[in-house]
Amino acid sequence: MQLSIGKALVMGGAVLGVAVAAASCENKAEQKATQAASGALGASASLKQLMDSRGLSEADVEAAVKTYVPGGKADEYMIFASGGHSGQVLVIGVPSMRLLKVIGVFSPEPWQGYGYGGESDKVLAAGKQNGKSITWADVHHPNLSETKGDYDGQFLFVNDKANGRVAVVDLTDFMTKQIVPNPLVASDHGGAFVDPNTEYVIETSQYPAPLGRAYEPLSEYKNKYRGVAMFWKFDRQKGRIDVEKSFAVELPPYTQDLADAGKLGSDGWAFINSFNTEMAVGGTLEGKPPIESGASKNDMDYLHIINWKKAEQLVKDGKATTIKGMKVLPLKVAGEEGVLTLVGEPKSPHGCDVTPDGTAVVVGGKLDTHATVYDFAKMKALIDQKKFEGKDDYGVPILNFKEAIRGQVEIGLGPLHTVFDDKGFAYTSVFIESVVAKWSLKDLKTVEKLPVHYNIGHIMAAEGDTVSPDGKYVVAMNKMSMDRFSKVGPLYPQNFQLVDTTGEQMRILIDAPIGIGEPHYSQMIKIDKLKPISAYKPGENPYTGHVDPAAVLKEKDAKIVRNGTTVDVYMTAIRSHFVPDQIEVNEGDTVNIHLTSLESAEDQVHGFALNMYNVNVSLEPGKHENISFKADIPGVFPFFCTEFCSALHLEMAGYFLVKPK
Amino acid sequence: MTSIAANSVRHDEFQDGHRHLTVAKKKPGGRHFAARWSVILLSLAAVGLQVASLFQPWWWIKLYAPQYPKGLKMVISLTGVSGDVREVDILNHYIGMATMEKAAAVERQLAGYGIAFLAIAIVAVALLAGKRLNKLLAVVGFAFPFAFLADSLFWMYRFGHTLNPEAPIRLPAFTPQLFGNGKIGQFMTFAQPSVGFWLAVAAFVVLLVAAFARSRVCAGCAKKGECGAICRDGFVGPKAGAAP
Repeated sequence: MQLSIGKALVMGGAVLGVAVAAASCENKAEQKATQAASGALGASASLKQLMDSRGLSEADVEAAVKTYVPGGKADEYMIFASGGHSGQVLVIGVPSMRLLKVIGVFSPEPWQGYGYGGESDKVLAAGKQNGKSITWADVHHPNLSETKGDYDGQFLFVNDKANGRVAVVDLTDFMTKQIVPNPLVASDHGGAFVDPNTEYVIETSQYPAPLGRAYEPLSEYKNKYRGVAMFWKFDRQKGRIDVEKSFAVELPPYTQDLADAGKLGSDGWAFINSFNTEMAVGGTLEGKPPIESGASKNDMDYLHIINWKKAEQLVKDGKATTIKGMKVLPLKVAGEEGVLTLVGEPKSPHGCDVTPDGTAVVVGGKLDTHATVYDFAKMKALIDQKKFEGKDDYGVPILNFKEAIRGQVEIGLGPLHTVFDDKGFAYTSVFIESVVAKWSLKDLKTVEKLPVHYNIGHIMAAEGDTVSPDGKYVVAMNKMSMDRFSKVGPLYPQNFQLVDTTGEQMRILIDAPIGIGEPHYSQMIKIDKLKPISAYKPGENPYTGHVDPAAVLKEKDAKIVRNGTTVDVYMTAIRSHFVPDQIEVNEGDTVNIHLTSLESAEDQVHGFALNMYNVNVSLEPGKHENISFKADIPGVFPFFCTEFCSALHLEMAGYFLVKPK
Repeated sequence: MTSIAANSVRHDEFQDGHRHLTVAKKKPGGRHFAARWSVILLSLAAVGLQVASLFQPWWWIKLYAPQYPKGLKMVISLTGVSGDVREVDILNHYIGMATMEKAAAVERQLAGYGIAFLAIAIVAVALLAGKRLNKLLAVVGFAFPFAFLADSLFWMYRFGHTLNPEAPIRLPAFTPQLFGNGKIGQFMTFAQPSVGFWLAVAAFVVLLVAAFARSRVCAGCAKKGECGAICRDGFVGPKAGAAP
């Protein structure tokens, strides 16, 4: 009895203790809340008080002011960033670093109705490899279309490293219009870069494999495995890649990495860096060194110099062979005819960036502390004089390294990519050291290093790869964010850091978490170069650019036409109803819904979703969609609008009935 | 009490002409007795410190790099390396450095036995060694931390000089910094001794004192060169009428 009383007392005490602790906590929290409220909202609140309450320094406030874009005002620049594994492209405003849009490219994107029963299914279907639908991508390098070496704001090209594909995004409606699978390669990397007038979209392979993806044992690596530089002909009028007029240049089985096209004086040339010229294939289970070791043996790898104008001519002259329907200029011809020339580049390089004036190519060392600046004029002279140091095993001529370079810049540990500003400075991302190195193109001296957070991969500057960079901003695209954001589980966001380059010293203005994939490259364009539409022409099919033959421009023209087992529904959508709103078909019928939005007002968007049939399309003003499917599930299926279009949005619905057999 | 008995016995002995300790003249059975015990207690204390060091970190190395804002820490003890060893091993593979488990593998296995051996040796020397050998106490005390330092330095040198030539990044041979600041690649390194090492140093100091005390024991005794802290005549008590 005594014991239990004692126990009760102890327990009571404990409970009391907890209660008191809780009460005091509450009091503190309340106090804090009132303090914060008076600091933030009180009429007498000063900026200083606000800074104190939020623990902000003057530099923080300056950065905040530099990046703040009030509602109703536009950002100055727009970033088109790789969405990495998401297979998408991210559109981000600068300086706010706010995400403006996610463009579905290689993977279905439900909001835009991209790949959910409408016309866009055909775009995605065209991206099949070996007949297999691939619903993800390793999106690497978005590139804006150029005219005379400057962004023209019309198109965006982007590659899928994983599956060797290139896509075309139309920047009038920010929609993906074409995916081109490369039938030759197993993967790509050096893409999608354009020449100064966007005649070609360049895509170079990454991991060598037999061209056309045939089987060959790894023992045949040297003989049968190859790389290619693909030159996709771009038809600007049509806004599509013309596969027929495209060609490839066969390359040795060195692992081609990044590429860039020459500009101004070096227009007509392309450059690709490479690693694993050792041709290591691993074999870790047999105790052989992994590729990471095997590929790092040589002190020099090869920069590939491609005269694509000449290649284009040779292909026209019938020197190409055909593999999987693609014209391929053989390696032998490329080596003999001066299409392909090699020059050494220090150990396992990365990055390959032509300077704004087109006179030099900068290659980062990765395992070498330098960035090497190749002089185009010197290389061209050596090629013209046929002054070669030797030839590789494939007969490709090699230039002397020392004779080909302008110089080397001591950068630091792990230099990768380089971008440029308007004042003659270059900015190189330095991965291992985790800094941005700013250096002068004039004397090849590093002038400043800015720590970034952390492990920077690509770097990008405002229009920094055009003939006229804007300066002002650099974006560090960091692979790791560690302690920069709130924790969201073990898969951390990537980190885009906006860097102000206008001052004496570089300064980070803001960190932007990217939580959708691992972005690689991005490009930044002045906002006024973009001319996006706010509505389609009434009845326009975004994938043809014309009024669709099946468009329904007036509600009274809406109808259901049955032809055997095919049912064509000509349908309209306008606030807040569909016409027709009752559709009845028989099980097994093929149903084509030709759906036109009769809206024309800005931002007046509808959606059309059909339950259980995996159908959802987006109906921007004026847009026409053709939805096609087989009515193979009998039953009752409400369809409805999926954009909150109006007060009676929920009432914007109808019934789709499938009569069982 | 035994001490009283011993004192009185020694007093007799002193009168007997056998002068064990000069101080004993003034305070018979006093200081030489204290010195003997201090040798034993100090030796045991040293053994205790050394045994304790087995369970303490001896050295730590911190590595700082931008992408490791919290730094990496490796804690070296007599029996192994702990802390961010795995991460350091992964990083080291790029330069072809051996994994930490390969460092001082035998030494780490033997550390426990080594301490036991040292303990026995110290006690034995303290109790049994004659004056000529009593300096062994200090030598043994010094040898312990010194051997650790020398062995560590050896392994540092060895690791930095047996880099795998197949490694992706090839560096010229180097010896990682064992003390203070160093730089390897993007890493700033900082290394310094820790509790265990200082315990061993303390044990050495204690043994120095013990050796000194030992030299004071029997300083005036004719047999001072023969007997240890245990004196067949004095410590356990001399036999009455024992030969001088």
